[in-house]
Amino acid sequence: MLRAKFILILIVTLILSSNLLILSCRSGEGPVTAEVVIIPSANVPLEPNAPLWKGIPRHLAKLIPQDLVEPRLTKSSTAEVEVKALSNGTLVAFRLEWLDPVKNDLPGPARFIDGCAIQIPSKIAANVPDPQMGQEGQSVEITFWRADWQAIVNGRKDSIKELYPNATIDHYPYEAKPLEKDPALQSEMAKRYSPARALGNGREGPRDSAVEELIAEGPGSLSPSPNPTGAKGKGLYNSKGWSVVILRNLPKDLSPNNRSQVAFAIWEGAHGEVGARKMRSGWVPLLMKAEGELSKNVQ
Amino acid sequence: MARVYNWQIGREMSYWYPESRPEKQFAAVFDVNKCIACQTCTLACKTTWTSGRGQEYMLWNNVETKPYGFYPLAWDLNLLNSLQGQEWQGNVYQGQTVFEAAPEGERVLGWRPEEEDYSYPNVGEDDCVGQIENGASLEVPHMMWFYYLARICNHCTYPACLASCPRGSIYKRPEDGIVLVDQSRCRGYQECVKGCPYKKVFFNPMTGTSEKCIACFPKIEQGIQPQCFVNCIGKIRLAGWLSKPDQANPENPLDYLVHIKKIALPLFPQFGLEPNIYYIPPVHVPTHFLKQMFGPGVDEAVKQYRNMAQDLDLAGLLALFGSTEFIVPRWKRQGDLVIGMSEKGSELIKVPLREPVYIRSAYDSKFSIARVNCP
Repeated sequence: MLRAKFILILIVTLILSSNLLILSCRSGEGPVTAEVVIIPSANVPLEPNAPLWKGIPRHLAKLIPQDLVEPRLTKSSTAEVEVKALSNGTLVAFRLEWLDPVKNDLPGPARFIDGCAIQIPSKIAANVPDPQMGQEGQSVEITFWRADWQAIVNGRKDSIKELYPNATIDHYPYEAKPLEKDPALQSEMAKRYSPARALGNGREGPRDSAVEELIAEGPGSLSPSPNPTGAKGKGLYNSKGWSVVILRNLPKDLSPNNRSQVAFAIWEGAHGEVGARKMRSGWVPLLMKAEGELSKNVQ
Repeated sequence: MARVYNWQIGREMSYWYPESRPEKQFAAVFDVNKCIACQTCTLACKTTWTSGRGQEYMLWNNVETKPYGFYPLAWDLNLLNSLQGQEWQGNVYQGQTVFEAAPEGERVLGWRPEEEDYSYPNVGEDDCVGQIENGASLEVPHMMWFYYLARICNHCTYPACLASCPRGSIYKRPEDGIVLVDQSRCRGYQECVKGCPYKKVFFNPMTGTSEKCIACFPKIEQGIQPQCFVNCIGKIRLAGWLSKPDQANPENPLDYLVHIKKIALPLFPQFGLEPNIYYIPPVHVPTHFLKQMFGPGVDEAVKQYRNMAQDLDLAGLLALFGSTEFIVPRWKRQGDLVIGMSEKGSELIKVPLREPVYIRSAYDSKFSIARVNCP
C-alpha cells in the first residue's frame, strides 16, 4: 500500500514537472545560470524584443541597496535583474529586464529617472576591483542607460512643455524679435543661460544615444570615458517593467579561456533613487562560450 | 566627519570636511527694516542669470513676507520641525546642527521640496500675524506684524550643499569664499537641493544639473557688488568681505556691523552652516520670533539700531548702503561725511551723514506754476 502511494506521488510529480518544463519552453525562457554567459551570435540585436533573445541562458542577479557610502539607499526596491548576453566577437549586447510598476522618464525637481548600468573591470586581473565603482588604480568601465535619454532618442522635443505640458512661458530673451532670423546667434545666447550645456555636460538636451560611457576608480570618481567606443542602448517599457539592451565593445582580453566580472545597478525613479542611492549587485562571473559550445537553447 | 569651529554657535561642531577658510570671505549685510519687497532685486537677478529654459521657476534671489511667506513652501518650518530642540545657553548653541543630526545613511539632515512647493513664490505676501480683537493700538513691538526677508545663497563657511554632494561637484572658492556648482561635473543627483536648509539650490530639468546663486562673481572679480545689491531700491544691502571675529577690523564695514556692533545677525545660525549673509533684524517685531530666526543676539542688535540717532558712526555706515556699485572694503566718518575707500585707502565714495534738506516755496514764480509733491 505504501509502495503504491509512493509510486502515485512520483507519477504526479513527474507530470507536474513536465508541465512546468513545457510552460518554460513555451515562454521561450532559457536556463538560469550562475554566471553571466555570453553566447556567440552573428547578430547582436539592440532591440530588447528581438526573437534572438528567446531561449538565451539568463542570469538572475540579486540586488542589494548601495550601503557603502553616504548617501545610502536605506530601503530596498528592485530585488533582481534578469541578464542575458550575446556577442559577435567584437560587440557584446547585454539584455537587462527588471520589474518596475511605474515608468519614470521625466526629469524635474524631486523627480527621478529609471535607469540601469553595467560595470566591468577595465582590465582582467587576478585582483578584482571593488564591486562598488572600482578603486584607485583599478578602474571599472560603466555603461549607463537612462529612461529620459531614451525618451529623447525616441523623439521627445527639447522644450519645457514636454516636461510640463501646461507651462506658460512669457519670454526667453534669446527668442526676442531682433534675433528671430539668426538661429546661430539665438543658440549662442541661449547657452548663456545653460552653463552645463555650454560646457558640454549633456545630462539633458538633444542626444543620439540613450547610454553614456563612463569610468570610475571608486565612489565619487565617476567621469566620462576618455575613449568612448560608441556604446548604444535601447529600453522598452511595458506595464510590468523595463527591458533594456546595452551594446558595447567586448571587454578587452575577454575570451572563452579568460573570464571577467560584471556587476549591475538599477535605479527606480519612483523611489527617489539617483546617483549613489541605487540597488546594485556584487561581481558576477562573466564568461564567453566558444563558437562550438553554442547552447541548444539558442535559435 | 571632521571637527570644525563655528563662531556663530560658539562651539566646535562636526562637518563633512576639515575647516578650510578662504583667503577672503564674500559676505553681506541686509537691513530688513528698509526692505519694501519691491522685488527689484529678484528681477535684477532673474533677468541676468535665470531667464533660460528650465530656469523658469528659479529665484536665486527672492523676497518673502515673514512669517507666512516662503519660497519654496515652508522651507524653514520643515527643517525647524525636524531639527527639534534648538536651545541656546548664552551665545553657545546646545542643540544639534544639520550635520550632527544627519540620519543614518545621510550626510546632512535635509528634506526635499516637492514640485508643488515651488508653485507659489509670493505666498503669504503682506499677511500679518494676529488679528485685531478687542481693539488695537500702535505699540513697539507691533501687536500685528510682518516683515520682508530678502534671501540669496548664504555662501556659507560650512555649506550643506557642498557636504551633500557625493561627487564633490560643489566647491567654495579659496579666493573669495563664493560657493559654486561645477556645471561640468554636476550629474543632477539633487542631493544639494535636499541638503541646503535655505533651499537656494535649484534643479534645472533642461540641463539636468543643479544651479544656484553665483554671487555675480564676474562682477565681484572686478570689485563691483552683485546685481541684486546695486539694483536695490531701498538701499538695504552692502556687500564686502568678512573677517573671523578675532581678526575683526573696525575699518571694514562688514566687520564693524557684524563683529563690533553686532547689529547684523546670521540667518538660522543653529543650522550650523555659518551663513555669510547677515541681517539687521526688524525692530518692530517681537523678539521671541526673531531669536529663532537670527539667534541670541537679537536683543542687542535691536537696541543698537534704536540707539542709532546717537551713534553717528553706525548711522554713517548705514548711509553707505546702496551709495556706490563698488565694493567698499574700508570706511571712515569725518564729521558729517562718510567715506568709502578701497583696500589701499583711496576714496571710492563720499556721502553726507544726513541728506541736506531743501525747502522750496509752493509757488514757482519763474515758471508761474504751483508745485505739487506727487510725481
